[in-house]
Amino acid sequence: MKRVAVTGMGVVAPCGNSPDEFFANLVAGRSGIGVLPQVSPRLTTRIAAAASFDPSTHFPAPRLRMLDRVSQLALVATKQALQNAALELSDDERATTGVFLGTGMGGASTTDDGYSTLYQESSDRIKPYTVLMAMNNAAASWIGIEHRLSGPNLTFSTACSSSAVAVGEAWLRIRSGAAPVMLAGGAEAPLTLGTLKAWEALKTLATEDTRDPAASCKPFSLDRSGLVLGEGAAVLVLEEWERAMRRGATVYGEIAGYGLSTDGAHITRPTVDGQARAMQLALDSAAVPADAIAYINAHGTATLQNDAVETAAIRRVFGTHADRVPVSSSKSMHGHLLGAAGAVELVATLLAARSGTIPPTLNLRIPDPECDLDYVPNVARREQDIELAMTNSFAFGGTNAVLICRRA
Amino acid sequence: MTTTFETMKRIIVKDYELEPERLTPETPLADVELDSLAITELIFALEDEFKVVAKTNGQGMQTLGDIAAYIDQLIAERDTPAARTGS
Repeated sequence: MKRVAVTGMGVVAPCGNSPDEFFANLVAGRSGIGVLPQVSPRLTTRIAAAASFDPSTHFPAPRLRMLDRVSQLALVATKQALQNAALELSDDERATTGVFLGTGMGGASTTDDGYSTLYQESSDRIKPYTVLMAMNNAAASWIGIEHRLSGPNLTFSTACSSSAVAVGEAWLRIRSGAAPVMLAGGAEAPLTLGTLKAWEALKTLATEDTRDPAASCKPFSLDRSGLVLGEGAAVLVLEEWERAMRRGATVYGEIAGYGLSTDGAHITRPTVDGQARAMQLALDSAAVPADAIAYINAHGTATLQNDAVETAAIRRVFGTHADRVPVSSSKSMHGHLLGAAGAVELVATLLAARSGTIPPTLNLRIPDPECDLDYVPNVARREQDIELAMTNSFAFGGTNAVLICRRA
Repeated sequence: MTTTFETMKRIIVKDYELEPERLTPETPLADVELDSLAITELIFALEDEFKVVAKTNGQGMQTLGDIAAYIDQLIAERDTPAARTGS
């Protein structure tokens, strides 16, 4: 089995447009959640976590006409990750280097625009690029095209665990020796009227905190009311360990384990069984005991269901260690990036281990008897010795993906 | 034709960032980076600009001048009462 190093990371997300800026804001407890700049009177929801991202500074106009926002975010995160990794690939390596990306909603704004043209304007003039912009694999495809990577190019769509699955599957590929390098991550751009309305209809979105809209996402708190949608992308360069060592690459951490399970029970309601199984499988694949984990970046969506079930699942897997291991939800600050969540939170987890600093769960003011772990409430915890950390990603549909990383 | 072409040129320069000096009525479509999807999009923009309705998405057109001439033809039809009633 090969070991897998993370040698490059790129982030475009609420809270920051680079891994360092993103993580610094998390540690400082600065929320990326706010009132949407363009609020439709048809939306009850006014809050979301938008990325501070002006595509025109990254792409010329003709390119933008072919790229949905989700692909724009993915391409910019990829560029960062590759520059960060200072990677030089031989032609042979390009032929095996693949792109595994996760997205839940794909080109949501393009789909929205197309329907608006068709149904609202009663026009048949659908943009010629609509299919190419809206298809879920567009972002991954553009990454492959732009960087001439001709290994497998796959898009995983398992809702909110999409990008954790993408990273996990890429990890398996390098581990098995099938590829020396993989780009893996996720992207999501769901802040469109149609997508926001659909999520609103699902009754899972947080009620706005009228005193402080930025504090609307309250994971594990008794007064939590749901998730806050966010947009963004994170892409990681995964590299076979020896290759990374030979070229003297900066290693941000090692992906050490991956557990994948499916609830097989309900389309939205999570199960303790399914989540616990994914965590246990991740521990098994990393060959580490539960009490070696020094930090858990929780799925922590701030929905009533998730946070209680995840707490119970952590208790089941970690036993008495559950009372000692710090667990935090960075979603309290960057919101829920759906298909990009797993990758964005993996970056936070890797940097937590690397820096020894655990980002807090913001807005946790009222304890919930069903959520009784150490959630690192409201203030970051510094000078922690984190050799191994876990990050959880669960999903509608029931696909649970858990990654374990080791400090390099 | 001149006005139509100049308007089209302005749209192409803005939307596709092509150098204006490359755009003449004789310029073959194959010589500028406009694929068939871009041509379809361009015709949408021209429809809006000139308030006409195109019946083609540009198939068979060879040069930028062909597109401008086609738009001119649509403008003429639009402004001819007989064409509007279809009789």
